[in-house]
Amino acid sequence: MAASTSSTHAVNPGQFVAGKGLRTLYAVSIFLGVVLLSLAFYKDSHRAWHSYLTSYMYWTNLALGGLFFAAIQHVAKAGWSVNVRRIAESFTAFLPIAALGAIVLLFGSKSIYQWLDPKIVANDALIQAKEAYLNWEFYVVRIVVTFGVWLLFAKLIIGNSLKQDIDGDPKWTLKAVPLSIGFLLFFAISYSLFTVDVLMSLQPHWFSTIWGIYNFAGLFQSFLAMFVIFVVYSMKKGWLRGLVSEDHLHDMGKFLKGFTVFMAYIGFSQFLLIWYANLPEETIFYLARANGWWMAITFSLLILKFAVPFLLLLPRWAKRTPNHLVMVSVLILIMQYVDIHWMVYPTLDPYAPKFSWQEIGSFLLFGGLFLWSVTSFLSKNKLIPVKDPRIEESLHHHVAY
Amino acid sequence: MASGGIAGLWLDDHEVVEAARKVREAGFKKFDAITPFPVHGMEEAIGIKRSMIPYVTFVAGVTGFLAAVALQYWTSAISWPINVGGKPFFSGPAFVPVMFELTILFAALSSVGALFVLCKLPKLDPPVIDPDVTCHKFAIFISEEDSAYNAERCEQLLKSLGAKEIKKLARY
Repeated sequence: MAASTSSTHAVNPGQFVAGKGLRTLYAVSIFLGVVLLSLAFYKDSHRAWHSYLTSYMYWTNLALGGLFFAAIQHVAKAGWSVNVRRIAESFTAFLPIAALGAIVLLFGSKSIYQWLDPKIVANDALIQAKEAYLNWEFYVVRIVVTFGVWLLFAKLIIGNSLKQDIDGDPKWTLKAVPLSIGFLLFFAISYSLFTVDVLMSLQPHWFSTIWGIYNFAGLFQSFLAMFVIFVVYSMKKGWLRGLVSEDHLHDMGKFLKGFTVFMAYIGFSQFLLIWYANLPEETIFYLARANGWWMAITFSLLILKFAVPFLLLLPRWAKRTPNHLVMVSVLILIMQYVDIHWMVYPTLDPYAPKFSWQEIGSFLLFGGLFLWSVTSFLSKNKLIPVKDPRIEESLHHHVAY
Repeated sequence: MASGGIAGLWLDDHEVVEAARKVREAGFKKFDAITPFPVHGMEEAIGIKRSMIPYVTFVAGVTGFLAAVALQYWTSAISWPINVGGKPFFSGPAFVPVMFELTILFAALSSVGALFVLCKLPKLDPPVIDPDVTCHKFAIFISEEDSAYNAERCEQLLKSLGAKEIKKLARY
């Protein structure tokens, strides 16, 4: 058992090395992504921007999830997670690319958001009523400020953790608490507004006050799934021997199961109130997702994003078996893509989901960039925060029956 | 274990885990450790199998779920159908909150109930090895019902494992 590891003062994790396979994977992904997405823009730029937005949200969510996870660990002064925290922190290496991606999205906004089209707004009283919020200038300011502050917090919280690797000063751990509280407060508001801006406003007549939380639930659920995959990968490479055990995986599995339930709870809360009240201005969202094949996608979210992963994660052994945990994580990651696709694409085609090389292109591009930035971060830094004052607690982490 | 036996007392939690492991390796099955707080690694050291409470919880949860479906179906669609907002009598989404609540209620109450049954609670005036096992002492108790039980051998074993004190009990 991990508990028998003797008290250690110099913790030496293996060095993360992006092997040839991994480097080929992201190089090919980025190359194919650029080619396919360029072709998609050439063929049908309206559809290409929808594809761009879907994949962009998917991978940006994962990066934000890493920062959110690191922040809640600092606020809770958690000890168990120290040895896996660096892998979560590494996801934020994608945030600068996400910020650039948001700037690029500004150029496509006029193609996908009706409320930016003066001709539509001129004849639409409902959008006119929302113009104080939904206007170009305020939208640009929100995007720029949001990403600016996110990057600043990422630099401070993650940067301090890296500084501690060198000097081992516990002051960085103490400083992380107020920083993390500040980030979480800002994140709660800014992420809600961000999802309203880039996803909800695709249907400018419609509104849902739980929208931000629903997106956050998907963000954290998919982040945990990707987190599990990275941790298991590093364990199988032997870089975390004696540092991360199945006890850590067990707790990550509990997190994953918990937020799988949370996602369903929030998703259903949104649906139930709209279904019960049956007000036309609210039901349009679900009516658009009950047409033809969209109905199948709607039900697939309930079954494959909640019921199946929930039951597969229920037994104790399931959370302590790396391959099983990875399998469930892959399912959740696939369904997270379906979820965002389900939010974005009905405005493009109300009758059937569209998924083809145009969608794969943008997914590969951002996926490749994510993999490149995260593995570069891990290759440059230590795989665990070696001088964190709470590391002993993580080295001896043990989940009781 | 409503039987007599012999108990050894330790003052250190690491020592008692090690002692428990040795007692199990010596071939004893009917023995237990009594500690003032949960000691990491103790379950493995004693060789305690997992409790059956999770299975009780799961079955009770499923029962609660089905009970909620049945209750709402019968009251809303059969016994006293009322048209609410033009919705069908059997309205799945409207029933979900109650399905959720009854799943939780049945699962939670049954878990507590199963805990009481499995631990034979409540125990009124239970036998006490030493009042200090709720404070700073750690005990290992070997039941005389164990097939390998032999008072002298047990006493020697516990002493050799570092027990600071040995107590013979007529009933525990």
